[in-house]
Amino acid sequence: MARKIPKIVCALFGVTLFVLFFSQHPSAKSLNLAILNEYFQIIFAFTLLVGVVSFVKINLKGVERGEDRPYRIVSILGVFVVPLLALIWGIKGDSPFMWVFENIQVPMQATVFALLAFFVASASFRGFRARSVQATILLVAALIMLISRSSIGDVIADEIPQVADWVRSYPSMSARRAILIGIGLGSLTTSLRVIIGIERTWLGGDK
Amino acid sequence: MALSLACCIFIPAVAWFEISKLPVLIFAVISIIIVLYTTFHKKSREKFKVREIAGLKAVENAIGRATEMALPILYTPGWGGDIQRPTTIASLNILSHVAEKTAQYNCDLIFPTHDPVIMSVAQEVVRESYARAGFVDRFKEDDIRYVTSSQFGYAAAVEGLITRLKPASIFLLGTFEAESLILAETGNIAGSIQIAGTDSTIQLSFFIVACDYTLIGEELFAASGYLSGDKSILASIRAQDILKIIIIILIIAAVIWVSFDPAADWWVF
Amino acid sequence: MKKLESRHYVFLGLFVVIVAAMLINVKLDIKVSAETQKMYDYIDSLPQGSVLMVSFDHEASAVPEIKPLALTILRHAFKKGHRLIGVSLLAEGTGIGYRLMQETAREYDKVYGRDLVYLGFKPQYIAAILSMGESIPETFPEDYLGRPYTQFPLLDSVENYDDVAGVISIADGSLTTHWIEYARARYGVTVTAAVAAVMMTTYDPYIGSGQLHAMVGGLRGAAEYEKLLKIGGSGRRGMLAQTSAHVYVIIMIIIGNVIYIAERKRKSGA
Repeated sequence: MARKIPKIVCALFGVTLFVLFFSQHPSAKSLNLAILNEYFQIIFAFTLLVGVVSFVKINLKGVERGEDRPYRIVSILGVFVVPLLALIWGIKGDSPFMWVFENIQVPMQATVFALLAFFVASASFRGFRARSVQATILLVAALIMLISRSSIGDVIADEIPQVADWVRSYPSMSARRAILIGIGLGSLTTSLRVIIGIERTWLGGDK
Repeated sequence: MALSLACCIFIPAVAWFEISKLPVLIFAVISIIIVLYTTFHKKSREKFKVREIAGLKAVENAIGRATEMALPILYTPGWGGDIQRPTTIASLNILSHVAEKTAQYNCDLIFPTHDPVIMSVAQEVVRESYARAGFVDRFKEDDIRYVTSSQFGYAAAVEGLITRLKPASIFLLGTFEAESLILAETGNIAGSIQIAGTDSTIQLSFFIVACDYTLIGEELFAASGYLSGDKSILASIRAQDILKIIIIILIIAAVIWVSFDPAADWWVF
Repeated sequence: MKKLESRHYVFLGLFVVIVAAMLINVKLDIKVSAETQKMYDYIDSLPQGSVLMVSFDHEASAVPEIKPLALTILRHAFKKGHRLIGVSLLAEGTGIGYRLMQETAREYDKVYGRDLVYLGFKPQYIAAILSMGESIPETFPEDYLGRPYTQFPLLDSVENYDDVAGVISIADGSLTTHWIEYARARYGVTVTAAVAAVMMTTYDPYIGSGQLHAMVGGLRGAAEYEKLLKIGGSGRRGMLAQTSAHVYVIIMIIIGNVIYIAERKRKSGA
């Protein structure tokens, strides 16, 4: 029974949203709006709560055991202090919440993002080797793209950006489209399996 | 809301069906019929074989390696997906298989995620896999953990886990965005065997460079059927192939048509 | 001390190259690509006073790349006299979007409520995109600062996507795809995008099919757009660092291949 009810709810909403897609009737739009604007948002709010509880629980256990204690304390403090700042002074304009966001969160996130540049350099150094004809074609295409996306492409020859555009528009795009079609079909069949109830992983398993 | 709904139902001026969406409906109905046919038609299900996928053959080795080295396995579904996303469901199917093996070999399985719902579902999937293997006592709920919803917060957390735990094997299966190379390169530096798979076409190129095995796009969907041998999943792979043939025929027809009539656009809707 | 490996030298070299490039103030000349020109022409060709929805679909991490792009688009739109509705579908983009819109509005003496309104953040992006297609006031009953939707003259005639000329998604990830798949496919709204460079090839198929009307991407896109607008900006400045990094990576690839070929020769000779 515990599995049957979610399956019925899932099938009901799956079929309803599918049917609503094909209608512009005001009542269809109204129902669509209610599902998207109200039900989804309510569910989302509760899922966040689940995440926060789990996060705090795991980190408190870690603190108790003495594993990475300073980091875990900072994490737990962050979870409670930042919402508190938002609750007391709001989240607009020059509030302390925005100060924390702009001066702590933004630089920290940008730093992790910037690591990508270093990893691209090391991965290129290691990975782009002319091991075979195919690998050499890939290597040449990569070099053309790198040159064209910087200012030197225009300086060396007008043809380089044109060749790069050709690579992007034809060989690369056709491969990408083929993959996208495959993914689309995979998504379609998985979604159908979920709606008709033969895919039960999202319920935690088979029973 | 009930009142407004009731009022709207009796508005006759607007048609219930939007005629411009007829082609979408036709293709959707054809797809549904094919999926249902391949799933429920017994004979159709029996004559069917999936080709070998190198990345999936490596799953056993990856788990065996972790057991021999007494190091954990790290499995993450990426930052880009949520539980509604079919890729996430496909990834959780593979997780179910991996968890069953780790339960048998008594190997730690760490699953960090950015989504609380994925965390809850993954906990259930892994718990059930451990029960199926007969080792429910080996299941550690806290190893399936929510880290943060923020993209690079998640990347930093998983990167930290990889650096500290030095997992023997890493599974990066799901929807990834810019964090993909950060995780894959960190795993590479840690010396882990890495099996990746994603529906994010842009990230595939990063995975191919940095990981040992990469499942490309729909192979991820096929993987769960391949590993579990579940007939209904295998049937849907067949449905995908039939639909693909239909699409190929349509593309060829459109190419021939437009070659003779460059102004034609009947296939655009 | 732990022995340094080749990757550490690669990292160190890249750091030195980028820092050096940031310290040197050289303006590089670039040619405007066809895709940037198309984006420019799209905004330029809209009738004055058109209402555009600008969606800040990015995280805080992408600000160094996204900010120059967003500023050029906003400046162009305000310069042409268009009216802008700002939204954000990722929590972290909300505050950044508000600041950027306010900053550019001040540059062009635009009045909040008449020329621009910022509606703020709505969680669950797919639901939010679909919901705005039905009703924007029901999706955002208030603006970012908590004032009622009905208070602003700009929004008087804006009920859903039918009342906006187009949506510009400023994104660092795949969120633009959802605008294409839901807002464009279901409601027929014109979708354009300003995206991080790494995401450009993801959207190429949509540009080819016309589902994404136009796109400008990366620091290079920002620099090209600044050139079209005949203004200075951080896009052109960032191009020197990007170009240097690209040249560095090219050199690394060449060195990697030289080492590989030398090793292969050595092994085959042994």
